[in-house]
Amino acid sequence: MADVLAEGYNVFDTKKSPSGTVKYLSSPADVITLIQSGKLQEHILLVRGGTTTFLAPALSMGAIGVITMSGAPESHLGILSREFQTPCVMTAYLTSSDSRYSVGATPESHFVEIAEQLDGKKVRLDCTDDEVGRIVALD
Amino acid sequence: MTAPVLDKTDYDVLNVVALKKMASAPTIVTDTGLAADDVTTVLTGLSEQGLVVVAGDAALPTNEAEPALAAAAAVYYADLRGDADLIELVDRFETVNAQFLTTMSSWQQIDVGGRKVANDHSDSEYDDKVITRLDKLIARLGPLLDALAGHDARFAGYPRRFAAAMELIDAGQHDLVSSPTKDSVHNVWFEFHEDLLRTLGRERTE
Repeated sequence: MADVLAEGYNVFDTKKSPSGTVKYLSSPADVITLIQSGKLQEHILLVRGGTTTFLAPALSMGAIGVITMSGAPESHLGILSREFQTPCVMTAYLTSSDSRYSVGATPESHFVEIAEQLDGKKVRLDCTDDEVGRIVALD
Repeated sequence: MTAPVLDKTDYDVLNVVALKKMASAPTIVTDTGLAADDVTTVLTGLSEQGLVVVAGDAALPTNEAEPALAAAAAVYYADLRGDADLIELVDRFETVNAQFLTTMSSWQQIDVGGRKVANDHSDSEYDDKVITRLDKLIARLGPLLDALAGHDARFAGYPRRFAAAMELIDAGQHDLVSSPTKDSVHNVWFEFHEDLLRTLGRERTE
């Protein structure tokens, strides 16, 4: 059975199942560097939250998949991902960890752990379920 | 050493780039009302200061853009931030904003037996109801936009953009509701929200 590394809210159900190496983007500069590298479509993009508005250029340039560590499907980023039909899993948590996101009460270690565990991993997004999006290991 | 505060023209141009996340010179001309040559000059200066990166025909904000804008906004909008009547209107906006996000999602997805599925826009009656709701939500921004425009004329641009989008929607161009690549109601609303937060020195909440 496929190894589900993380799961979260599925922003919209789709048969698209993009795969790529997870790349954590922490700032606008990271997005610019990735776009300029010409390798945008080799990566599943991991960002901290639904309020991470600097991701918008990557979506418009053809990002293939997005994972966030906080935020709701009704957020601006959720609306954008549906418009661009970019599969997106929001408020993802590690299946190997008990740590969960809680609005206004999430320790920094929660985000650090997810970024460390997922960044650089080869994964596939499974967004076929109505509610739950899954990040599946390919390694 | 503290960097000098952006002058107001630099602020207005960089603000458009930061709001749109990626903006071409013609778009900046439209949004700021500045002459094309002036926008080119300002973008060159902002690039030299490391506040934007020009890629192709678009400018993108660097990591330093937001702190520079925040520092300038604290100076330019100190009076506005102390306007109790305006702050009361702003506090009411958060409720309207939540309703807007829910309404926008209901434009994109419909509930079928408890399951969210993509709105294929075959039910014109449903779509019309959502559009009417959006129109009412935009109308509820009126007092806040008027109050903000009293402090900075930039905010008078938002009612014009909302009106232009709604006019096209009423004419049947429904992609003006939420298209991410047009001056849609969603894009205008998003930019207004970002602009408002920066003006007030507030953070976006989840």
